[in-house]
Amino acid sequence: MKNQWIEFYRGIVTVKASGKGIERFINTLTRSGINIWNVKNHGTQSVTFKMKLEDAKKIRSHARNSDCRIEFLQRAGAPFLVRRLLKNSGFAAGALAFFAVILLLSNMVWGIEIKGANPATEYQIIKELDKMGVKKGKLQFFVDNVESIQRKLSNNIEAITWVGVELKGTTYHLQVVEKNDPEKPEYLSPRHLVAKKKAVIVDMFVEEGRPVVDIHDHVQPGQLLVSGIIGKEGQTETVPSKGEIFGETWYKSEVILPLKSTFKVFSGNEKVKHGLTIGNLEIPIWGFGSPEFEEYELEENENRVKFLKWELPISYVNKTFREREQVTRIYSNKEAFEAAKDLARKKIKSSLDENAKIMGEKVLHQSVDNGKVTIAIHFQIIENIAEGQPIIQGDSE
Amino acid sequence: MAKKWGQFVRGWMTKNMELPQDVMMDLPRITMIGQIHIYIENHRGLLAFSDKELRLLLKQGQLLIRGKAFVIKTILPEEILLEGKIDSVTYITDTD
Repeated sequence: MKNQWIEFYRGIVTVKASGKGIERFINTLTRSGINIWNVKNHGTQSVTFKMKLEDAKKIRSHARNSDCRIEFLQRAGAPFLVRRLLKNSGFAAGALAFFAVILLLSNMVWGIEIKGANPATEYQIIKELDKMGVKKGKLQFFVDNVESIQRKLSNNIEAITWVGVELKGTTYHLQVVEKNDPEKPEYLSPRHLVAKKKAVIVDMFVEEGRPVVDIHDHVQPGQLLVSGIIGKEGQTETVPSKGEIFGETWYKSEVILPLKSTFKVFSGNEKVKHGLTIGNLEIPIWGFGSPEFEEYELEENENRVKFLKWELPISYVNKTFREREQVTRIYSNKEAFEAAKDLARKKIKSSLDENAKIMGEKVLHQSVDNGKVTIAIHFQIIENIAEGQPIIQGDSE
Repeated sequence: MAKKWGQFVRGWMTKNMELPQDVMMDLPRITMIGQIHIYIENHRGLLAFSDKELRLLLKQGQLLIRGKAFVIKTILPEEILLEGKIDSVTYITDTD
C-alpha cells in the first residue's frame, strides 16, 4: 500500500457512487490512473470509496459518461484542516495574543518598594526614579540597569548615603540608608580637650569644662585646652568637657602640574543599536552598520526577556557606541600657576573638616622646568583643633 | 492456429527456461493471507462487487471470490487488494 500520510497532506475525499454499473465506473477510474481505495459496498447499488483531492475534478467527467451519480461525503486531510484553521484563526490569534500579553506583562515594572527611608526621602527617591523613567507600567527593556539606577540615585539625592537596588521579578526593591539618621544622644565619659595640632587659638566656644588657654595662645599638639575637672580645690568633679576651640593652623602643599596634558573625552557623538539575542544568535532590530568612530567606548545593556517567572534565552540588547577623542591641553605659564593653585586649594579642602576655613595663602615658591609647573603654597587655616582625651580615674588626685 | 502455436511456445518456454508462469502466460497471481486478505495481480477489471462477492475478469475466464464484509483496499488497473473474510475463490472458465 502507498503511504497514507502523503495522501493526507494533499487531501482525501470520500465519494459515494450510486447507480448501475458501479463496477464499470470503478474500472474506468482505475484505468485512467485515478487512485481509489477503501471501496466499500453499502447495500444495493451504492459504493463509497476514498480518493485524492486532486483527482476529484477528473471524476466528474467520468461520472457523466457512466450511469452513476456521485456525491462527496467527507473531506479529510491537510488542505481542509488548513481551511478550518483559517476559519477558526480567531482562536489561534487569541492564543498568540494571550502569550504576547503575558510576555509583555512579565517584562514590566510592577512595583517599586522603598525601605529604610523616611517619607520625605521616599518621595524624593520616587521623583528621581520618575525622572529616570522607572515607573510602574514601564517596560524593563527601556529602563536603566540596576547598577546605574543605584549610581544615579546615590549621586543625585543628597539625603542618602547608600541605596541598594535589586530587581526581583517585576518589582524593584530599594534599600536606603539615610545620611541623617536620628542622632543618638551622645554619651560622653569625663574627658579633657587637648590640641590636635600646633596652632594659635583664634576663637573658643566652651560648652562644658574649664578652659585653661586663651585666645592668641600658642598651643602644641597634646596640650590641654579645656580641663574636665571643675570645682574648687578639694571638691573637684570630673565632667565630659565639650566645646570647640578654633585655632589657626598652617599647612604647606606642593603641586606639580604638567603644562601639556592629553585627555580622552567623549565628543558627544554616539550611535545606538538595538537587537535581540536568541541563544548565540544576534538579530539587529534598529541601528545597522558599524560605527564610523575611530575610537569609541561601548556600553552594552542586556535585558533578559522573562516569561512569568522564567527567564527565556532571549534578550533585548542595547548597545551604545560613544565616540572618544583625544584632547591636548596646553597651559601658558600663568594659567598653569592658577590651575596649580586651584588644585592645591582643592587638595587642602578635601583633607580638612567641613567647617574649616582657608584664611590666607602664600605662594612660597613656584617654578617651571621640564614642562612642569611646581608650586608650593602655605595655607593659613582656621579649624577646630580640640580633641577629646578621657580622664582616667585616679589621675586627677 | 497462430494463437495456439503462441500458447504452445510460451508453455514450452516456461517449462524449459524456468520463467514465472504469470509473466509468460498472463495468468493471475493470487496471494492470500489467511482468510483476511487476498491480493490479485493481472486481472482485467472488476465485474461485480458487493460485500459478499467479488467477480473479476481475467484474461481467460473469471475469478469469483465469496465471503463476508468485503472492502477493496486498493484497486489499480491490474492489481486489487481485497479485505474481508474470504470463504472461497473460484475460477469460472468458459467451456472450451
